[in-house]
Amino acid sequence: MPSAVQTLDISPVGRVEGDLDVRVNIQDGVVVDAWTQAELFRGFEIILRDKDPQAGLVVTPRACGICGASHLTCAAWALDTAWQTEVPRNAILARNLGQLVESLQSLPRHHYGLFMIDYTHKNYSSSKYYKEAVRRYAPFTGANYEIGVTISGKPVEIYALLGGQWPHSSYMVPGGVMCAPTLTDVTRAWSILEYFRREWMEKIWLGCSLERYEQIKSYDDFMAWLDETPHHANSDLGMFWRMSIDCGMDKYGQGHGRFVSWGYLPHEDKYQKPTIEGRNAAVIMKSGVYDGRSDTFKLMDQNFTREDTAHAWYDEPGGLHPFDRKTVPTQKNAVDMGGKYSWATAVCHDESGRLEAGPLSRQLIAGGKHGESWQHYDPLVLDMYKKLGGASVMLRHFARMHEGVKLYRQAEHALREFRLNDPWYIKPNERDGRGWGATEAIRGALCHWIDVKDGKIKNYQIIAPTTWNVGPRAADGTRGPMEQALIGSPIKDPSDPVEVGHVCRSYDSCLVCTVHAHDAKTGEELARFRTA
Amino acid sequence: MTNLLWLQGGACSGNTMSFLNAEEPSACDLVTDFGINVLWHPSLGLELGENLKKLLNALTSGQMPLDIFVFEGTVVNAPNGTGEWNRFAGRPMKDWVTDLAKVAGYTVAIGDCATYGGIPATAPNPSESQGLQFLKRQQGGYLGTSYRSKAGLPVINIPGCPAHPDWITQIVVAVATGRGAELSLDEFQRPKTFFTSFTQTGCTRNMHFAYKVSATEYGQRKGCLFYDLGCRGPMTHSPCNRILWNRQSSKTRAGMPCMGCTEPEFPFFELAPGTVFKTQTLMGVPKDLPSGVDKAGYVKLTAAAKAASPAWAEEDIFVV
Ligand code: SF4
Ligand code: SF4
Repeated sequence: MPSAVQTLDISPVGRVEGDLDVRVNIQDGVVVDAWTQAELFRGFEIILRDKDPQAGLVVTPRACGICGASHLTCAAWALDTAWQTEVPRNAILARNLGQLVESLQSLPRHHYGLFMIDYTHKNYSSSKYYKEAVRRYAPFTGANYEIGVTISGKPVEIYALLGGQWPHSSYMVPGGVMCAPTLTDVTRAWSILEYFRREWMEKIWLGCSLERYEQIKSYDDFMAWLDETPHHANSDLGMFWRMSIDCGMDKYGQGHGRFVSWGYLPHEDKYQKPTIEGRNAAVIMKSGVYDGRSDTFKLMDQNFTREDTAHAWYDEPGGLHPFDRKTVPTQKNAVDMGGKYSWATAVCHDESGRLEAGPLSRQLIAGGKHGESWQHYDPLVLDMYKKLGGASVMLRHFARMHEGVKLYRQAEHALREFRLNDPWYIKPNERDGRGWGATEAIRGALCHWIDVKDGKIKNYQIIAPTTWNVGPRAADGTRGPMEQALIGSPIKDPSDPVEVGHVCRSYDSCLVCTVHAHDAKTGEELARFRTA
Repeated sequence: MTNLLWLQGGACSGNTMSFLNAEEPSACDLVTDFGINVLWHPSLGLELGENLKKLLNALTSGQMPLDIFVFEGTVVNAPNGTGEWNRFAGRPMKDWVTDLAKVAGYTVAIGDCATYGGIPATAPNPSESQGLQFLKRQQGGYLGTSYRSKAGLPVINIPGCPAHPDWITQIVVAVATGRGAELSLDEFQRPKTFFTSFTQTGCTRNMHFAYKVSATEYGQRKGCLFYDLGCRGPMTHSPCNRILWNRQSSKTRAGMPCMGCTEPEFPFFELAPGTVFKTQTLMGVPKDLPSGVDKAGYVKLTAAAKAASPAWAEEDIFVV
C-alpha cells in the first residue's frame, strides 16, 4: 500500500527570478507533484507604458541585475527593429561582447556561489568525494569557492570598459553603442580575458588548455578526456562530473523533454539592417525548438509565443501573444494551487506547448542540423543527452558550464574584429512601429516586444527565461517545465529534501532555499532547514 | 563577530551582483578578515545550517543580536498597503522589515530601490514601493521620519543603481571595526565620505566641459556629454570618477551620460517622452544647471569658454 502524501512548502527557493516558492508532494520517497510560484510583482511593463521609447534601455536592465546586459541587448534590438535603424558592425560586436562577458561572469559565480555548495550537504557524506568537496566548495572558506567567487568579477571589467560599469549600464542604444573603445581599451580587455582563462578556466576548471577541451565532440570523447590525466579528473569539471554520478545527479530532473532557444549573437555583417523576420538567419548561435521525444528540430519564431494566465495572478484572457497583452495584475493574490498561484505566466509555443529554456536547450539546439550552414554547430551535449537517457540535474548544469569555452572564443572574436576607426553609432530617425528584440541570457531565452505609438511606448512586454521555466500550470493542466522536472526526484530524507534544491538550481534558480516540511495529514511541521 | 543579515524586497539583485564584484575587501574577505558573520544573504548566506524563519524569529525576538541589517530593493506595499505582492518566507516582506529594523544595530539601505524607491517607484508605481526612509526626495519612507536604529542613526542610505561595491564594503568594514560613530551623513542620509563630490569630479571629459565642447552624438571620442546628451555629472553627488567601476572606468569615461542615479529623482523626469539621454533646454540653456551655478553665470561662462576654446578640443582626444 502506498504511503501517505507529504506536502512540502518551500519558501523561498530563490528570488532572482522574482521570489520563487515551490510546493512538492512526496510519496514513498519520490516527488509526485509540484507547483512553482513567483512571489514578487514590480510591474515593469506597467511602468514603461506611455514613457519615452528609449525608457526600456534604462528600466529593463533593472528587471534582473544578473542578466542586465541581456535585457539591454533585447531593448536595443527591439527599438532597432521598430525604428528601422542601421547598426554598424563595430556596435554589433560591442553589444555581443558586453553580453558575452556578463555570461562569463555568471559561470564561476553560479558554479561556486550557488551550485556546488549543495555537494557539501551531509546527504553526500558517504561519497568518496565528500571530503574533497568540502575542502573546495564550502561557502566563503572553500579553496575554490573563494577563487571562483572573486574571479567572477573579472570578465565584467571588460563590460566597464565598454559601458562604464557592470551591472546596469545602458550603453547599447538604437543605432549602435555609446562607446568608442580605444586601442588601450582593447588591449586591456585582452589581458583581462587571458587572466580569466589562465587563472580559472584552464588551471582550475578544465585542468587542460582550451584547445584540448575543444577537441571533445562526443560523450565517448568526454569520457576519454576525463580519464586521460589526473589533471582532467581532478579539475573542478572532472570533480563535478564524477561526484554528480556518484551522488545520482544524473538520475532525475528530467522535465518535458522539449526545449527552446531564440539563438543569439547577431553576426556583425549580417544584421546591420535589423528586422524581426531577418533575425533567425543572422545569428551566430542558431535559434530552435528541439523535441527530444521525436528528436526533431525547427527554427523558433516569435509569432508562436503565447502567454497562458489561467493559473497566473493576472485578470486577462489567456493564450494571448505578448503584443496583445495588457498586464493587469490580480488585486488579491491569494495562493490557490487549484486556481491562481504565481506572478509568472505559463508561456507556451502555439504548436509545441511548454518548452524549457536555458543553456541545456541552447546546447541541444546547437547539435541540430537546421539553420544556416555557417551557423554554429556543436554535437556534444546532444550526444550526451541521447546516451545518458535525457535531461538531468547533472546534464543541465554541465551544459551551462560547457558554454564557457565557446563564449570565450566569441569574446576573442569581437576584440579581434573591432575596427577602431569605423563608426560605432549611426543616428536613427525616431518613428512609430512595432519591434522585437531577443537573445539568450545565460539562463535562457529572453525577449522584449515594444509597440511605439505617437512617440511613446504603447505596450512593452518581456518574457524572461524564468517565465518559460517556472511558469505555473497552463489552462489544460500541463505543468511548467520546472514543475515537471521536479517529478520523480528521490527525496532521501523528507525532513531535508535537498534534492528539490538541486533541480531548481540546475535551472539556475539562483538562490538559497529554505524549506519547511509539513505533514499533509496532520499539518504538523516536520522540520525546518535550508537546502543549500 | 558582527552579525549581518541581508534581505531583498522589490529588487533585481543588481546590488548583490555589484557587491560580489568587490575586492579589497572581497565578499569572502569580509567574513574571513573582518569577522562579518553573514547570517543569511539571498545568494551567499549558507553556513548556519539553521532554517531562515527560525533565524529571523531569533533576531526579531532579540534572542540573537542583529548588528547590521542590510536591505536591497524596495519595500513593496501593494496591493493597498498589505504588501502581499512581495511575500517572503510566508509573510509580506514589509512585515519582516518592520520587525528587523526595530532590533538592528545599524540599518543600511543599499541601492536606489531601498533608499528612494528607484525604478519600481517610478510613476505609476504599480507595486506601491517605498524606500526604507525616503520616497524619492520626501523623507519618511516606509520606516518613518523618526526611525533610528539601536546605534542611534537613521537608515544609512547607500544609493546608486546599483551601489558601487566599495561604497557597500567600506561602510560595513567601518561598522565592523568600531568606526560606526564616525559615519557622517548628508541630508539624504548618504555617507558624506562618498557623496559630497560630484560625478564630474575626475571625469576625463572635464576639459571639454570647461571649453563647452560637446559630444553631439554617441560613439565620439571627444566632447562633454552635458550639452546634448543629458549627462547629469555636474549635478550628481557620486564618486564614480574617483572610485572607478569594476576597477576600470565610469559611465562618463566610457561615453555614457551620467543618469544621476545617486540622487532621489532617478530616473529623472520619470522617463517622460523626449527626456531619455537628451539634455532638456529652455531657450538654448539647459534646464538643470551645474550645482550652484545660476543662469546668468552659466551664460557668461559659456561665452568666455567658447571664445577661449583651443583647437585640440575639437580633435579626437581619447585617441584610437
Ligand atoms: S561628461 Fe558629464 S561628468 Fe563628464 S565633464 Fe561632461 S558633464 Fe561632467
Ligand atoms: S555615473 Fe551617474 S548614473 Fe552612473 S553610477 Fe555614477 S551616479 Fe549613477
